[in-house]
Amino acid sequence: MAKRIVVGLLVLVAAAGGAFAAGQGERAAATDGDIHIALSAPITGDWSEYGIGFDRSARMAIDQINADGGVLGGRKFRLSVGDTEGNPQMGTTLAQRFTADRTIVAQIGPFASSTAMASQPIFDAEGMVQLSPTASHADFAGGSRWSFGIVGTQAGEGPFNARFAYEHLGLRRVAVLHLNNDFGIDSAYYFSKAFEELGGEIVETDFYFDGERDFTAVLTKLSRTNADGLYIVSFYNDGAAINLQRQRLGWDVQVLGTGSLYNEQLIALGGDSVEGVCTATVFYADDPDPRVRRYVEEFRSRYGVTPSFHAAVAYDAMMLLADAIERAGSTDRAAIRDALAETVDFEAVAGNVTFTPEGDAVKSYRRLVIYNGEFRLFDEVGLPRR
Amino acid sequence: MKLKSIRPAFVSFVLRYRVPFAILLGVLLVAYPWIVRNPYLLRVATNVGIAIILASSLNIIIGFSGLFSLGHAAFYGIGAYTSALLATRLGVPFWLGFPAAGIVAGLFGTFIGFATLRLRAVFLAFTTLGFGEITRIVILNWRDFTRGPLGIAGIPVPRLFGWSFTREANYYLILLLCAAVILFVYRIYHSRLGRALIAIREDETAARSMGINVFGYKILAFTIACTIAGLAGSFFAHFQRYVSADSFVADESFRIITMVALGGTGSITGPIVGAMILELFPEVFGFLAGYRQVIYGAVLITVIVLKPGGIVGVKGVFEKPRATRRSWIAQALLPRFNGGTR
Repeated sequence: MAKRIVVGLLVLVAAAGGAFAAGQGERAAATDGDIHIALSAPITGDWSEYGIGFDRSARMAIDQINADGGVLGGRKFRLSVGDTEGNPQMGTTLAQRFTADRTIVAQIGPFASSTAMASQPIFDAEGMVQLSPTASHADFAGGSRWSFGIVGTQAGEGPFNARFAYEHLGLRRVAVLHLNNDFGIDSAYYFSKAFEELGGEIVETDFYFDGERDFTAVLTKLSRTNADGLYIVSFYNDGAAINLQRQRLGWDVQVLGTGSLYNEQLIALGGDSVEGVCTATVFYADDPDPRVRRYVEEFRSRYGVTPSFHAAVAYDAMMLLADAIERAGSTDRAAIRDALAETVDFEAVAGNVTFTPEGDAVKSYRRLVIYNGEFRLFDEVGLPRR
Repeated sequence: MKLKSIRPAFVSFVLRYRVPFAILLGVLLVAYPWIVRNPYLLRVATNVGIAIILASSLNIIIGFSGLFSLGHAAFYGIGAYTSALLATRLGVPFWLGFPAAGIVAGLFGTFIGFATLRLRAVFLAFTTLGFGEITRIVILNWRDFTRGPLGIAGIPVPRLFGWSFTREANYYLILLLCAAVILFVYRIYHSRLGRALIAIREDETAARSMGINVFGYKILAFTIACTIAGLAGSFFAHFQRYVSADSFVADESFRIITMVALGGTGSITGPIVGAMILELFPEVFGFLAGYRQVIYGAVLITVIVLKPGGIVGVKGVFEKPRATRRSWIAQALLPRFNGGTR
C-alpha cells in the first residue's frame, strides 16, 4: 500500500511542478522594452526592516529615473523583487532564478554578507552583476569580478574613525567592544590596526553576540582598564543598551562608534546616556546637500519616516546602476559590469562612490556627534559640555 | 497500514497503473534537466532533494520512534562544516569528506543519545534544542577553526576523475542520494529495527516487556538519522560552496520539523510531500511577498486541525495518543498512570 501512495503522490507533485515550470518559461519569454532589475532582499524575517527599506528606496529611485525620462533614450526600469527571508539558501535560489531570466540585466542586493557570499559562485558562473548595498564581508567584492559592494568596507571606515579618535577627540588608550559577526570582527580589526599605527594603544578588546541584552559584565571588565575612550561596533539598539548600562555603572568615558549607530532610535532608546557619543557616517539625513534633501524629503512624504543609512545605500545602488547602464550604452550584462567597474566619484546620497579594482567602494565620511539630544556635524558643534 | 476508504478517483487511477506510472516518474526525474533547461528550476529541484533527505531522516526520529528532536539542523551543520573544513583546509576530496561528515554527525548523535535517551522523551527535545544552539555558538566563536561569522568560502565542487561537477551532475547526485535514502528508510521501516521502533513508539512499556532493548534501538535510530543529516550537510556544503552559521539556525530545525509534521509523520511519503511543499511554497507564491507567511501559517493550521497526522501520515506529532482519552491536563498531572513513558 505504501508503494501505491508513493507513486500517486509523486505523480501529483510532478504534475504540479511541471505546471510551475511551464509558468516560469512563459514569464521568461515575455519581453517588453523595459529594463528589468532584480532586487534580492530580506522582505520578511528577522531583517525585514532593512529589506523593506531596500525595497522602498529602490522603487523610489526607479520612479524618479522613469519620471526623468528613463535611460538609453527613454527606456524605463522595472523592478523584480525577491525575498531572501534572510536565509542564505533562499538567496542562492533567487540568484539562480534572476540569472536564468535573460530579461534581467543586474541584481541589487542582497542585504546580508552571508547571503551575498553564498550566491557569489552563481553570479560568477552566470556572469551578472551582483551589486550589494550593504555586504561588507572582506572577501565579498574581491571574490568575483561580478560582485560589487558600495557600503564602503571597514578598511575605509576603521582608519577614518581611528583618526577621528586620535586627532579630533585626542584619545590615546581605547577599549574596543564589538558585535561578533563578520562586520564586527572586520571593524574592530581595521580600527585597532589604524589606531595603533597612529601611536594609540588598544588596551582591551571584547565582543558580544547578536541578541545579548546584558552588557554589564563586559562593561565592568572594560571599565577596569585605564581606557580614555570606548570604541563600540554595534547596531543602534545594542549601542543604546551599552550606553545605558555604561551610564548605570558610572563609567564616564568618551564613546565613539561605527556608522551603524547612526539611527534616530539610538537617541530615543539611549536618552541622555548617549549624549556626546561620536560616530562617522556616509549618510546624514539633515545634510544640506540638495541631492540628499531631494531623497530624504521624498522618502518622508512617501513613507512617513526618515530613511535610514541602509535605505540610502540601496537608493544609491539603483542610481549607480542606472548611471552605469547609461554609460555602457547597452543592457548587455558584461557591458554593465565594465561600466560599473569604471565608476569614479559617482555623486551619491550616502557618500560618493569610486570602486577599487576589487569592486569595493571608497567612500567619503562625515563626523557626527550627539549634541543636545540630536545628531549634529562634529566639525560644526564639537563635543557637548558635560 | 490503514487507508482511508474515500480515495480520490485520480489516486485510484494511478494505483491501478502504478508500474507504468513509476517508470514514467523515473524517466521524468532523470530527464528533468533536459525538460526544463533552466538552471533556476534545476537548483530548486536540488534544494528539494536536500530537504527530502533531511525530512526523511528526521522522520526516523519523530515518526518511527516517537521521539522529538528540535536540533536536526545542528547535525546537518556539523556534516556541512566537517566536509567544508576537510576540503578547504586539508584538500580532502568530496568522496572522502562525504562519509566523514556522516560519521562525525552520527558520533555527535550517539553522544547526545547516550546522554538523554534513558530519560523521558521530552528531555531529548530539550537537549537537542540546546545542542542546536551550542553548535551555532561554537561555529561562531571558534574563529581559528571555523572562521566564525566569516563562514567558509570557496568550497570546491565535487570532482570525479578530474571532471568537475556541473549543475546537472549535482542534480543527479542528489537524485541518487534521495533514492538511496528513501529506499534505506523504506527498508528500515519494514525491518526488525522498524518494527521494534514502532512498538516503542506505540507503547514503550509493552515493548520493553516483549524483550525489546528500548534504549539500544532508540540510540540506533537517532544515530542513523543524524548520520543521514550529516551526509545531507556535506552535499549542501559542496553544492552551495559557502557555509556559514546562518544556514544552521534553530529556524532551520523547525522548518525540517514542519516538513515532517505537514507531510505526515511515520510514513515514507509524508516527509517527501512535506519537503516538496515547503521548498516549493516560497518559489510558487513568491509574488505574494509578506502575505506568503500568513498563507503558510493558515495552511499549517488547517492541516494540523483537520489531519493531525499530516497530509499522508499515520501518526501525528500533534495527535493525542490513541490509548488514552484523558485530557491534556490530566496527562500532565498524572504521568505515572500512563506508564510513565509519555
